[in-house]
Amino acid sequence: MSAEKTRTIDVIKQQRQVPELAKQRRKAFADMRKTIRTALEDEPKTIPELAAATGLQVGDLTYYLMTMRKYGEVTVGQVDDDDEYFYYELTKKQTHNDKS
Amino acid sequence: MPENTVPASQYDALVIGGGIAGEEAALNLANMGFYVVLVEKDLSLGGKMIHLSKVFPTLDCSACITTPKVSETARHSNIKIYTYSEAKDIKKVSNNRFSVNIIRKPRYVIEEECTGCEACEKVCPVIVEDQYQYDLVGRKAAYIPFSIANPRIATIDIDNCILCGACEKACLAEAIDFTQKPEVIPVEVKSVILATGYDLFDAQKLPNYGFNKYKNVVTAMQMERQLVPTRPFNAVLRPGDGKMPSNIAYVLCAGSRDATVGNPICSQICCMYSIKQAQLLMGALPMADVTIYYLHIRAFGKGFNEFYMQARGMGVDFVKGKIAKISEKENGNLIIRYEDVYKGKVKESEHDMVVLSTGIMANQGITGMFPDLNLDTDPYHYIKQIDELRNPSRTSIPGVFVAGAVSGPMDIPDSILSAGAASSETASYMRRLP
Repeated sequence: MSAEKTRTIDVIKQQRQVPELAKQRRKAFADMRKTIRTALEDEPKTIPELAAATGLQVGDLTYYLMTMRKYGEVTVGQVDDDDEYFYYELTKKQTHNDKS
Repeated sequence: MPENTVPASQYDALVIGGGIAGEEAALNLANMGFYVVLVEKDLSLGGKMIHLSKVFPTLDCSACITTPKVSETARHSNIKIYTYSEAKDIKKVSNNRFSVNIIRKPRYVIEEECTGCEACEKVCPVIVEDQYQYDLVGRKAAYIPFSIANPRIATIDIDNCILCGACEKACLAEAIDFTQKPEVIPVEVKSVILATGYDLFDAQKLPNYGFNKYKNVVTAMQMERQLVPTRPFNAVLRPGDGKMPSNIAYVLCAGSRDATVGNPICSQICCMYSIKQAQLLMGALPMADVTIYYLHIRAFGKGFNEFYMQARGMGVDFVKGKIAKISEKENGNLIIRYEDVYKGKVKESEHDMVVLSTGIMANQGITGMFPDLNLDTDPYHYIKQIDELRNPSRTSIPGVFVAGAVSGPMDIPDSILSAGAASSETASYMRRLP
């Protein structure tokens, strides 16, 4: 590993500006992620329960929750008693002891 | 754009398009001993087929059929592949040679160094719609296109990158390179095979059906993604609220056989892929009701009618009726207003999810690749087969051939057959050159 290696990100930063939409997308995901994580801290919830707890629009919530599931932050639990909605919970971090 | 200073590489054939037709044509020629350069505009080979669940009417796994062909193409010593690239400025330099500029777009990742480890993807903080999941879920700005992509290497979506540098810091292989620029690679070939496939009809051109307005109205391609193992959600769910649907409707001829939306012809695949999806849904959601609203069922291929009857036997409800309008209830359910043709009445029915069986359109970016040559198209903008009965792969330019849906709507087996014919005609053409 070369500590002196020039980072190419510094080169492109001189040549182009960050698009405004990209900044907005980063912020939207960061805000949504924080809200969803906070709402799921205590117990698993279905999407309607999450929407009620957070006040988020249910379509946007589904999109971001499923994105978090895709990247392993959220795990799917059981389906509810009406067989309509799944419960989602935060993925438990594996400890060293879990692995061994 | 840098100047062309590199001498042109010589190949026998240029194949444009790395879907099932392009792969088949390239492999056939390569196996006959010809040297082929294959140009694919997307980040991976595989075209649309690699994203499908099963194929009709056999219900074989689509990816299981296409990925061995993708791998064989990628590993063949007679085939040079450029992904994320476009062929431009195709000109005749002599009676039996074409010059071509291949424009290689920057991935901002050194292909030879990337190991596909996903470290860049994990640390990227930006989420944008995942085009490979048809926008149902997000992806990062630094991303691997999909799990079975070939090549399976990362790309930086520079238009959505916030230039934070986290990916470069995380990449142990030192593969991130933000200094990459577009490259022009000049090549010379004896022949060209066009295998650029088709475009999906844009469902937003049907405002009365509410796509993009009502979240639980989806396209058939979005439903297709929900039916594959690498699906965007954990099960088949409504995108509007994550509910498991129990009553799903299909609207056939959504953007086909409709001159008012610019596509008066039949797309040839929608009836059968809808019947296929209906059968798969009945397996995925055993308690669900599936209704298919149709004008005519066109089950013309080998085993197609039996497949249709099988769906009826499984309990899929077929309603002959033209859909006038779809509206949404407060709970996200959808009201379909339609004319029941057999009963001669206007009716309404409620479903909790609606799938638009969208048609296919000609890929119109092709003629521009030939600035000095006249590549004829048919009235529907598909590439014209000038001698359709005797030489179905020939175009108006000698030495340029068509494979697959670039010349008209067709299903997967017909695309492969067409690619076989194209490679055969191309080989025959090249063998007759002085």
